Amino acid sequence: MKTKWFSWLSHPESLLSCLTLVMLGWICNVDPTFLQWEVQKELSTHIWETALMALPMTLIILTGGIDLSIGSTMSLCAITAGMLHQHGVPLPMGCLAAALVGLAGGWFNGWFITRLKVHPLIITLATMAAFRGIAEGVSQARPLSGFPKSFTWLGQASWLGIPLAGWLFLGCLALCAWIMHGHRLGRYIHAIGYNEVATRYSGIRVNRILLGLYCLSGLSASIAAILFMARRNTAKADIGVGVELGVITAVVMGGVSIFGGRGSLFGVCLGLVLIHETREFVSWHWSRDELNLLALGSLLILSVVFQQLLGHKRSS
Amino acid sequence: MSALQAKQISRSYGGTRALSEVSIELLPGSIHALCGENGAGKSTLIKILSGVETPDSGEVTLNGQPIPLGRVHAVEQIGIVAVHQEPVVFPHLNTVDNLFVGREQSKVGGLWLNKKGMREQACQIMHSLGEAFSLDIPVGQLSLAQRQMVSMGRALLHECRILILDEPTASLSARESRSLFATMDRLQQQGVGILYVSHRLEEVFQLAQQVTILRDGQCAGTQPTSSLSRSELIRMMVGRPVDNPSRQQKKTKSKSDKPILKIRGMRRDPVFQDIHLEVYAGEILGLSGLVGAGRSEIARAIFGLDPVDEGEIWFEGRCLPEGFTIQDTMAMGMAMVPEDRQREGLVLPASVEDNLTLPSLIELSGWMGMHRKPRHEASRSLIEQMGIKTASRASSAQSLSGGNQQKIVLGKWVYRQPRLFILDEPTRGVDVGAKEEVHRMIEQLAAGGSAILLISSDMPEILRLSDRILTLCQGRIKGEIASHEATQEILLQWALPEERDALS
Repeated sequence: MKTKWFSWLSHPESLLSCLTLVMLGWICNVDPTFLQWEVQKELSTHIWETALMALPMTLIILTGGIDLSIGSTMSLCAITAGMLHQHGVPLPMGCLAAALVGLAGGWFNGWFITRLKVHPLIITLATMAAFRGIAEGVSQARPLSGFPKSFTWLGQASWLGIPLAGWLFLGCLALCAWIMHGHRLGRYIHAIGYNEVATRYSGIRVNRILLGLYCLSGLSASIAAILFMARRNTAKADIGVGVELGVITAVVMGGVSIFGGRGSLFGVCLGLVLIHETREFVSWHWSRDELNLLALGSLLILSVVFQQLLGHKRSS
Repeated sequence: MSALQAKQISRSYGGTRALSEVSIELLPGSIHALCGENGAGKSTLIKILSGVETPDSGEVTLNGQPIPLGRVHAVEQIGIVAVHQEPVVFPHLNTVDNLFVGREQSKVGGLWLNKKGMREQACQIMHSLGEAFSLDIPVGQLSLAQRQMVSMGRALLHECRILILDEPTASLSARESRSLFATMDRLQQQGVGILYVSHRLEEVFQLAQQVTILRDGQCAGTQPTSSLSRSELIRMMVGRPVDNPSRQQKKTKSKSDKPILKIRGMRRDPVFQDIHLEVYAGEILGLSGLVGAGRSEIARAIFGLDPVDEGEIWFEGRCLPEGFTIQDTMAMGMAMVPEDRQREGLVLPASVEDNLTLPSLIELSGWMGMHRKPRHEASRSLIEQMGIKTASRASSAQSLSGGNQQKIVLGKWVYRQPRLFILDEPTRGVDVGAKEEVHRMIEQLAAGGSAILLISSDMPEILRLSDRILTLCQGRIKGEIASHEATQEILLQWALPEERDALS
């Protein structure tokens, strides 16, 4: 019985659930107003873009890769849509162009990774700088705004108390969950992360899958960019700075092994909840944004240490 | 008097008893073989003797002095050196650095490395092992066999009195094995006691004076090899009689049969040239040769994993298109069991079921995703058919023994019912019992009408299973022979490059 409990506890997901509950309990003690529905609803608008990008990031990290360029891709996409709008192109067309730019950015990363065998960390670090540079150069660092009402409505509309962005995320989450559990692609992704060579030797088109995943990541960044513009009614070259930090933190905290193979979407959702609540509570309670990063970093260290300890217990 | 003596050694891991009251005595200047199936406790005993692990009870003495149990470095100091099965080397360092890691010699009072001296010594040692490769290339670029020689060399750097060799020939070709045996011979004459672990019973009889057999963690007996027969030894190892590998009557193929696989003038520089071969339905074609002769490269090229420079490959009467891929060959009905089970054959942390169904998931799914039931059904029946011993189909592949892992690698292709199997070293590092089972399966597959291209460095295996044998030498086909006419000597003669023949 004892060992059963222990093996349950050594799953990152259950550990994370406990951690989330403990934290929420503590918050309840310190500042109960924070947990009111109205407050939570208001604050939840901040998380959806991160959450949306965390889905492809989960799949990519499961294959043993990483994509650092999503924040810069976001800004490039926003600038594309914004500039086109300023030059009189209808905004839906601009958004389509932004999506294409996102896809192209992802494809660029994926091409280098699969064809030239560049390590994902290197190539996405390079494009992280390059994409941001292009965005700043094109926009001259000027903010672009003045989007039509119908567009900003997208950022405010909600249904059943959940904003449109939230529904979009839930839809994509369902899709990803199906891919990971119901579709063979999920098996392939895990297999690539565990042993890419053996997967290739089993006749699976590894390169095609990887290329697709990086394209997906670029696409998700472009959608996040559009959501951001609708919410803030502005596009600027410095949006999405550091967003990859939050995304990767959520994924890794959710128990996805950075070496690939191991992890689950459920864990990542818990990770997202945890970092969202931590971040928001820190700014809400102490109203100090600089504490934000500190809290995030400490949380990541804490959860990784716990996982390491339990992981070692499990393997010995 | 005995040099190394281990008395009543016991050792448990968790609840399982790996060794119980095993005693072994090793005389100086003799070769003592240690036999047993995988899991019989050989590795545990070696780990204890070489100081990697401490026993729960029992003692080990060297010339009457107790050895410092559980301290590798101290054990090495007093002259007990072990060479483990997987060569432990630093792939980015060259041979000289590898030999001297942790034992660097210095001059000017420790301020400067004595590079020249170390290099000379390294040269001498590798030369005495009969190796002539450059000492400057990183060890990671050497072949597995050469890496094995590097770790042998490392052992010889010590003043060693007892040498423990754990399956040293598992990855060596016949020529390399011979130079290893010559080295062992020399050491033996110098009075070194050698404990020799091997699955290759021919070597045991050829080399060792004494053999100790372990079975299920217990000592099943120590006997002089001269008083034992091969089948008696096997019986002691498995504790049950094993049908003697008598060569059964092979049917001869009439030339009117259409070959399943026909290759004309295949070339890939610099690994192989001018390859012509045919494999017929129901036939096992053996491909023998030294390690590095280009056998695995040919296998990978046929299967579409490596590009081909030139040549035609016909499969069931259809010519493979230029730049064909593994997806094409799989769809046509080929399968390959790769050489390196753990790196190329299996997704170790994934479940047995995932591994077994990985190449067939497209067939096992529709537009709505994977079909759960047929997938479970497929893996269940494969586990049964292949005789895979596993707790459940959800257990991870790494929890299984080598033999069972190998059955998974074979089984994942069997499900697709391919017309051609390319088997690259299908029984490497597999214990005697599982080896028999794998052999039976290969024969069954051939009897079922599949063509089989068998690559093996294990001569008795290739002689026993094949109908015809092709021998490769330095990327070219040197000769073809029907297996009932073939002997190890002929195959070896063909496999050895001519210049070397002139030298020796």
